[in-house]
Amino acid sequence: MVKRYTSMAYKAADDMIFGKSVYPVKAELGLEVGAGYVTAEVNYAPRPEAGVSKEKLVSEYRRLTTDIMARAVQVGFPAISLETEHVEQMTNNPSWGAEVAHVQKTIMEEYHEEYGIKCGLRHTPGDIREDRDLLALIGKKYDTLMESFEQVADSGADFLSIETMGGKEILDYAILRNDIPGLVYAIGCLGSIDMTMIWEDIRKIADKKGRVAAGDTDCSQANTAMFIAGGLLDKNLAHTIAIIARAISAPRTLAGYEAGAQGPGKDCGYENTIVKSITGCPIAQEGKTSTCAHSDVMGNLVMQCCDLWSNESVEYHAEFGGTSVQCWSESLNYDAAMLNVATETGNAKMLRDILVLSDKYRDPQGYVLAYDNAYKVGQAIVKDGDDLYLRAKNAAVSCVDILNSADSKKLVMSKFEINALNNAKAALDAMTDEADTFMSDSVEKYKAEVAVFRPDANYKF
Amino acid sequence: MDIDPSKILVRYNVAKEKAQSPEELAAEMFPTAEPARSICAAIFDGEEDDVIEGLEKAIEGGADPIALIDDVLMVGMKITTDLYDQGVIFLPNVMMSADAMLEGIEFCKEQGGSSPKPKGKVVCHVAEGDVHDIGKTIVAALLRAAGYEVVDLGRDVPVDEVIAAVKKESPMMLTGTALMTTTMYAFKEVNDRLLESGIKIPFQCGGGAVNQDFVTQYELGVYGEEAADAPKMADAIVAGKGLAQLKETFHKH
Repeated sequence: MVKRYTSMAYKAADDMIFGKSVYPVKAELGLEVGAGYVTAEVNYAPRPEAGVSKEKLVSEYRRLTTDIMARAVQVGFPAISLETEHVEQMTNNPSWGAEVAHVQKTIMEEYHEEYGIKCGLRHTPGDIREDRDLLALIGKKYDTLMESFEQVADSGADFLSIETMGGKEILDYAILRNDIPGLVYAIGCLGSIDMTMIWEDIRKIADKKGRVAAGDTDCSQANTAMFIAGGLLDKNLAHTIAIIARAISAPRTLAGYEAGAQGPGKDCGYENTIVKSITGCPIAQEGKTSTCAHSDVMGNLVMQCCDLWSNESVEYHAEFGGTSVQCWSESLNYDAAMLNVATETGNAKMLRDILVLSDKYRDPQGYVLAYDNAYKVGQAIVKDGDDLYLRAKNAAVSCVDILNSADSKKLVMSKFEINALNNAKAALDAMTDEADTFMSDSVEKYKAEVAVFRPDANYKF
Repeated sequence: MDIDPSKILVRYNVAKEKAQSPEELAAEMFPTAEPARSICAAIFDGEEDDVIEGLEKAIEGGADPIALIDDVLMVGMKITTDLYDQGVIFLPNVMMSADAMLEGIEFCKEQGGSSPKPKGKVVCHVAEGDVHDIGKTIVAALLRAAGYEVVDLGRDVPVDEVIAAVKKESPMMLTGTALMTTTMYAFKEVNDRLLESGIKIPFQCGGGAVNQDFVTQYELGVYGEEAADAPKMADAIVAGKGLAQLKETFHKH
């Protein structure tokens, strides 16, 4: 039985800051995350054609790792972290991922020995737990996934992460129908159940191999909502619905920490500020320096409490300024340097607040994720921290309340967004406070409506 | 510390918002005669039960069930998709309307004992190795909502299976979605295998990591930046546009 969070790591929202967390974590080659400074975390994807063989993939990662390390040294940066998000071939064939990790770590060791640069290596196996048509969270693919974690940990990966898919079969249905109870069920309940299972096992592997069980993100669900919501003029999903999905994702991501993750949380977890307020664990974040991967409406704000600053992912290819990973790693490092100067000169809180205020009123998503409001969502979660359903519902209710009490002259929402928000509030008001009732009603409802939903096989109902 | 954000940012979505509500705009577009008006309103609201109730009334009144599909259900759906194209309503409204309309079509087919002729057939798939299928689901729903028959091959579809399906179904268009750069490479292979077989249908590709530069690397590829481009592309094909014209219309960069 895992111990759920029922209190906050920080006494006040204002105590939260970038570069510093209550519980820093250490990598093998001198890097500490959350220990008082921010470090760039470079993330990349191989070119499509590199995926055809193990040799080509390993060669691609060898080159891009060398490129990043060389650029960091050339421009004089003190530390760097790399994240390798596996392409599916690397997780399905654990020895492929292991060889990539080994090659990368070897290069990083050479640079660390020669120049003293502090390094961290995160490996993120892909969540391969699917059959052709269905999620298959438990079974043979789970075993392969755990073998991948074992092998990359053995081969030098400091931080172990994943972006799990639990609950996605319902989310994909619910998010396209403005179904708020469906979001609570998919993300808050099913997602957290899956997270609890998988992170207990990842923690065991990390402990055995002397590595750090880092963290997860609700990428497959909250980021899907954010991605569909798009920019200001897109009409695919109200941004008020997207931020409700995001708020619900925080207790889901939290479940990984409750099962043993220690951070740094994954970069694309925009819910991480909420999670950090509860756990005190370090987090990676991405924003204005991840436009190579996607656009968002909170590029500065999300930097507010980051411990690693990431570019999300960039395909490895040539740019005018060098290879893409060199260009983006340099931008990230300059960002990190600016944050670290703010810390060294005693201006960290001022810079944090400037970053926040440049986006806080840009969109409902940034407004709720601003650290003061994120902290309030955190408080709503831990209030019923022992109940996976209630804390997810609380997060959604808190999000709606925060938006409804916003200064309407500063956070100006469109009629569509307000209408969606009102409908969401009505749906939340109609939801039960009894977890058992909600769970049994939901399982029947979605078994009838979502053909690919397999509650017994995936969640042991 | 706080600011007046008005000099820092512009909420263009608020500035662009129409004075009339989506409901008011839709009401102006509904047919005037009953029960067609009620059925169209029920489709717009995504109320499946009300759609069926309206259809029952229409059939009791002597309407031909199969004719109702084109004359009422598709008319109602077009109001929803037109308002979506105008930026007045959101995608979930379209999905819920499509659910209601498709249920109505099934009801009409049961009552009439036959099927209407679709505007054309489209094969949809997610690239081999890729299990992210929400984009494909949206594309398929929008195509069905526009009156096309969709053969949905699902996700993580092997190239062989895509080719076999195209040969079997003879669609007017193939769609492929992918979230990851390493999986979208399968699109090139699909393209090459289709050409080897002498099949030259438009292959609409899109999704998270897919971009126009990549899609233009293979002959049959047409880049779809938005899911809503799929029915527009299908309509263009029905209107006689060839591959070159599709690329000219839909390639934006």
